[in-house]
Amino acid sequence: MDSKSYRLREFINPGDGRSLVVDASAGLALGPLAGLEHFAEAVKPILPLVDGVVASPGQARHLTGRTRAEAALLARADWTNALRGPDFVLPPETISHIPLLAPSDALDLGASALVLYFLLGHEEQIEAGCLRSTVQLALQGSQVGMPLVVDVQPVGPRVVLRGKAIELGVSYALEGGADGVAVPWPGRASLEMILKLSAGMPVWIKPTSLEAVESELAEALILGAAGLWLDERLFSQPDPLGVLETLRAQIHKIVSVG
Amino acid sequence: MYLGLQARLDRLFNRQGDGRAVCVAADHGYMSDVTPNVVNLRPITAAVIQGGVDGILLSPGQAMRLAPLFQGRDGPALILRADWMNMPRLGTSNVANAVPQRLLVHQKVVTAGQALDLGASAITIYLFLGYNDRVEATGIEVCARFVAECHQIGLPCIIEPLAYGGQVTGANSVEILTLGARMAVELGADALKIPYTGDVDTFRHLVDVSGVPVLVLGGARSDNERDALELFAEGLEAGASGCLMGRNVTKSPDPKRLVEQLCGIAHKGWSVERAMRTEEWAYLKLKAHPAKCTGCMLCVTACVASHDSGAYGNHLARLRIDPGVKAGQHKVMFCTLCKKCLDVCPTAALRWHPENGAVELLVDKCTACDKCVEICPTEVIVHSDAGIQIATGETLDWYPVVCDLCGGEPECATICPTGAIFVDERKELA
Repeated sequence: MDSKSYRLREFINPGDGRSLVVDASAGLALGPLAGLEHFAEAVKPILPLVDGVVASPGQARHLTGRTRAEAALLARADWTNALRGPDFVLPPETISHIPLLAPSDALDLGASALVLYFLLGHEEQIEAGCLRSTVQLALQGSQVGMPLVVDVQPVGPRVVLRGKAIELGVSYALEGGADGVAVPWPGRASLEMILKLSAGMPVWIKPTSLEAVESELAEALILGAAGLWLDERLFSQPDPLGVLETLRAQIHKIVSVG
Repeated sequence: MYLGLQARLDRLFNRQGDGRAVCVAADHGYMSDVTPNVVNLRPITAAVIQGGVDGILLSPGQAMRLAPLFQGRDGPALILRADWMNMPRLGTSNVANAVPQRLLVHQKVVTAGQALDLGASAITIYLFLGYNDRVEATGIEVCARFVAECHQIGLPCIIEPLAYGGQVTGANSVEILTLGARMAVELGADALKIPYTGDVDTFRHLVDVSGVPVLVLGGARSDNERDALELFAEGLEAGASGCLMGRNVTKSPDPKRLVEQLCGIAHKGWSVERAMRTEEWAYLKLKAHPAKCTGCMLCVTACVASHDSGAYGNHLARLRIDPGVKAGQHKVMFCTLCKKCLDVCPTAALRWHPENGAVELLVDKCTACDKCVEICPTEVIVHSDAGIQIATGETLDWYPVVCDLCGGEPECATICPTGAIFVDERKELA
C-alpha cells in the first residue's frame, strides 16, 4: 500500500470503506455564513462525528490537536467566485479559479488530502485550468503521497444536461489522476454510470438538500458510493450534531445497544 | 541523450525487430464522451495487451492507475497524452450537448519530466491547423516547448497534426495535413500520429516529406471492422510505420482480436483477407508415401514446367527424387517447412507466405549470401539460372529458388500418378 492509500484511510473507514465528510471551507469565497461565523466553535463539536472536514488553509489552524477519534483534515486547494450567486454582495462579473495550495503545502498543514473544485459550464479557459490543476496536483501529490479529491461543480450557465455534465466531470477527474470525487446527487442512472466509470475510486454524494439527504444517501450506498459530502448548509441547521449523528449511523451502520 | 531517445523509440517501434508499431489510443475519457470504452477502460486495456499491442496512449491519471498492466519485459510501451483540448465538445455529442463549448482550447498539461516519471516511452501532443491563427500559434509554441523538454531527457515526442476548423475544406484537408506533418517534423517531432489522407498516393507523399516514423490513426469507429484493417494496410503500403488506433479498437466488441489482426498485418505481413479469417486456418504441407513412388520423375518435370516456363533442366526443380536404401526404392525430397532457412537469413528475405504458408522469398531483401542454400537439410533450395536486379539497383548473379507450393495447389501432388506425393494440412505457424 502506498502513502496515498494510508492517507485515504484516515478519512475513509477501512472497516466499511465509507466516509462522512463536511466541507466547511466556504468562508474562503462566501465570507461568514450562518452557523459558521465562528469557525472553531462551529467545527470542533462535529469532529468526533465525521470522518473528514474540509477547511481553507487559514482555518486549518483551528483543527490542530485532534485526537485519533476525530475527523481528518482535508485542505481546500483553490479559490473561486463561481459559487457566488447574483444576490451576493459582490456578484461575479467574470469567473475566476485560483489554485492556492500545492500538495507539499497540504503536507505542512497536516492534511490527509487536498480538495479541488472542478468547475463546469463556465468559460472554456476555466474548465481547461481545472483540468490542468487536477493533473498537476495529482502528479505532485503522487510524489509526496497526498491524495486529491475533486469536488465536481456543474454550476456554470452553459450546463444543459446536468447528469451528463457530472459524468464528464468525474471522467476528467479520473483521467486527470484524482483519488476521489465528490459529486452532486446526479440521479440513479448517472450515479450507476459514475460508479462504474470510477472503478473503485471513492465517490462521495453531495445531497440536493438536507431534507432529501437520507433517501439519496440510502440509494447511493446501495449502489456503492463511499458516502456523503455535506456543505456549509449543515451549520445553519438548528441541530447540526443531531443531523450528523443520524447520517453517521446510516453510513457506518452503527446500531445502538439497549 | 541520444541513447535514451533511441532506446525509447526502439521500445515502441522495434519490439518485433521490424521497425513497426501497433498502438492503441485510449485517452478518450480525457476529452470526449463518457462512452462504454471510457467506462470499461481497464478490461479493454488488459484485452489489447493480451492481443500483443506495442504501445498504449493514456491520460496521466489512467497511466498512474493502470501502471501495473504495463509491467514486465513484454509489457507495451506507455505513450502519455501530455496536452489537453476540447475539440470533441465543439461538435455534437452527449458531452457537447451537456456543456456546450464555443472556443477551441488547447493547452500543455504535464511536463516531459513528469511523463518520464510515469514511465512513458513517448508523449503525444496535438498541432491544430485550420482553426485560426491564434490556435495554430499556440500549438507551435506548445509543440516547440515539449520537443525541447523531451529531447533534454531523451523522451520521444510524437506530434499529432490535425486539420480542424473553418479554414479546412474537403479540398484542402490533405494539403493541410501534409503541411502539418512537415511543420511538426521541422519543430523536432520524433514521430507523427496523423489521420489517413484517404488514398495511398497522397499518404505516401506525406510519409515521404515527413522523414520520421508515421503512425496512422483510425478516426471515428467504423461499423465495419474490415474498413479499419484496410485503412491500416493502405497506410503501411504507403510507408507508415504503424498505427495508433483509438475508437476502432476500444469500441470493438473484441479488442483483443482486432489488435491481433492489426499485429498480423503489421508484423507478419498478413493481407486483410488473411486477417479477417475467423476459422482456424490450416496451411498446406507436402507429404509422401515413399513406398508408392515409382521414380517416374513426373513431379520434378512438372515443378520446373509450372515455374520456369522455357527453362530446360531439372536442376531448377524445388523437389528431388533420390534413390532409396534398397534397389527399386525412392525417396521424395521436398521442402518440409522446417524454418531453418527463415532463421538463418540475415536480411529476413525469407518469410512465411501469409496466404498458403509456404516459404516466400522477398527478392528485394535478398543478398544472395547462400546461407539458406547451405542450411537446407533436404537440399531443395537451389540457385536460379539468371540473376536479378534488386531495389537498390544492385544486380545479384543468382537468387534462391524455394518451393512456393504453387500458390496453394502443388503441381507435383496433382500430377503424381500413384499418389506418392500428397497435400496435407498443418496448423498455423508460430
